[in-house]
Amino acid sequence: MVHETIAATNAVVTLDVALPGVVWGWIITMNMWAKSIGTGIIFLAFYLLKKHPEQTGFIRFPVVVISIVFIHIFLFFTVIDLHQMFRFWHIFFYPHLTSAITIGAWMATGFVGLLFAMAYFIYLKKDEAMYDKLLGWTTLLAVPVTLYTAGLMAQSTARELWQMPTESAQMILAALLAGSATMLLLGGNKFSDAVKKDLAVVLGLAAAAAFILYMAELVFGPMKAEEVAAVLHYVKGGEYTVMFWIGQVMAFIVPMVLVCLSMKNKSYYLLKIAAVSALIGLWVSKHVWLVIPQLLPMS
Amino acid sequence: MQLGFLVDLRLCMGCKGCEIACKVENEVPLSTWRLRVKYVDVGTFPETKRTFTPLRCNHCANAPCERICPVSALHYLENGIVNIDKERCIGCAGCVMACPYGAIYIDPQTQTADKCTYCAHRIASAMMPSCVVACPVEANIFGDLDDPTSNISKYIASHQGNVQVRKPEKGTFPHHYYVGGGNVTLNPLASFRGEGHNLFNNLTHLPIGGH
Repeated sequence: MVHETIAATNAVVTLDVALPGVVWGWIITMNMWAKSIGTGIIFLAFYLLKKHPEQTGFIRFPVVVISIVFIHIFLFFTVIDLHQMFRFWHIFFYPHLTSAITIGAWMATGFVGLLFAMAYFIYLKKDEAMYDKLLGWTTLLAVPVTLYTAGLMAQSTARELWQMPTESAQMILAALLAGSATMLLLGGNKFSDAVKKDLAVVLGLAAAAAFILYMAELVFGPMKAEEVAAVLHYVKGGEYTVMFWIGQVMAFIVPMVLVCLSMKNKSYYLLKIAAVSALIGLWVSKHVWLVIPQLLPMS
Repeated sequence: MQLGFLVDLRLCMGCKGCEIACKVENEVPLSTWRLRVKYVDVGTFPETKRTFTPLRCNHCANAPCERICPVSALHYLENGIVNIDKERCIGCAGCVMACPYGAIYIDPQTQTADKCTYCAHRIASAMMPSCVVACPVEANIFGDLDDPTSNISKYIASHQGNVQVRKPEKGTFPHHYYVGGGNVTLNPLASFRGEGHNLFNNLTHLPIGGH
């Protein structure tokens, strides 16, 4: 990394320990990606059941199942990333409340409890009223569960690229993008045109807003701190440039374009392609953003 | 009491005695380091100079590692040392991400976070940290920052204007100071770090000349 070197000093590191590799890698990417789907689909279910209760009642059970599955994928990858995974219980018995990890673990536990309660009431009791009541609380809790990773990244003082409030906006947008994409794939042609249109709008707007944030970081980030400028070299001609743009195109540009085309042509197939592209691209773009700050030497 | 460290970079000659003493004292595994000395070469031949910078945990007053640790494995001792409880650590690596100085690593043997503790176990027995004892030129100065009569306080007082910390803009308030440092020694972005120019990664064989 040569960002601040000047010819007059010609300073070269001639002896130091090897730089550490990427500590938070694809496992943490899986964690964030699965969590976006698990909480995002709850946001969208809450919205659809409020706005289109007659046409979307059938989603109650599949939504809670999908959310449970993806939240458990998130929890699984969270735990296997720990170097001492069998000490995971320490978070509950020795909690340190200034840590976003602790807060996230407690919130996620509450979230999972509510999801199982919802599944119980809709599957065994057939009690839609109670399900809808619990969905309100679950949606509320989905907000901190979605945001805690942004808090964790912001607490990573060494990694200037991850900043609040940008990361929190990105996390919410990722949840809306993943939630609307999953809902589109889940509902199929059972949804009315009005519901599909609503989901398409959420998908398109979330993609547009997230893309704007990434581009703003790319252009204006280097003006904030030297570390950000140095890190962004990895996606501006560096080794992660291709991967970064694959992520941006698949997660945001393709869904935006296809949503616009589907609105014009009323084509559900285009929406399905947009949804798949968004879900794949989200993983790639999250992964690049996670990895590149870890390539910077700290000392 | 607030324990602190000061390294006079004008005295350090890069002998790495402190590194070895730390390794032995704390049984630091191969490929990991609680304390290391970075060499940075400055200038263009024949006007060149080699600088040496010992790097260790800064025991910050506002330590990001302590804040991010979910189980309080990283915690403050009453003397200001940021200590680590390896039995409690879950190995989430949050502290590795949070430390702006790259001073924390995952111990490959215990699979927990580890770092310099200012030899807290020696301090508890009224001994100096092992690196201080090993330094042949007394470049490492250790003591109580709250005591104006301590060696470190007097050293800081007598070198006003030439005392620096690493990355002060991070707001971590390190309790580790340097005298005689500069941009190339304290700022990792101010020196070129080329592939293969590092004895501990790509360069595995030194050429044998003169035969």
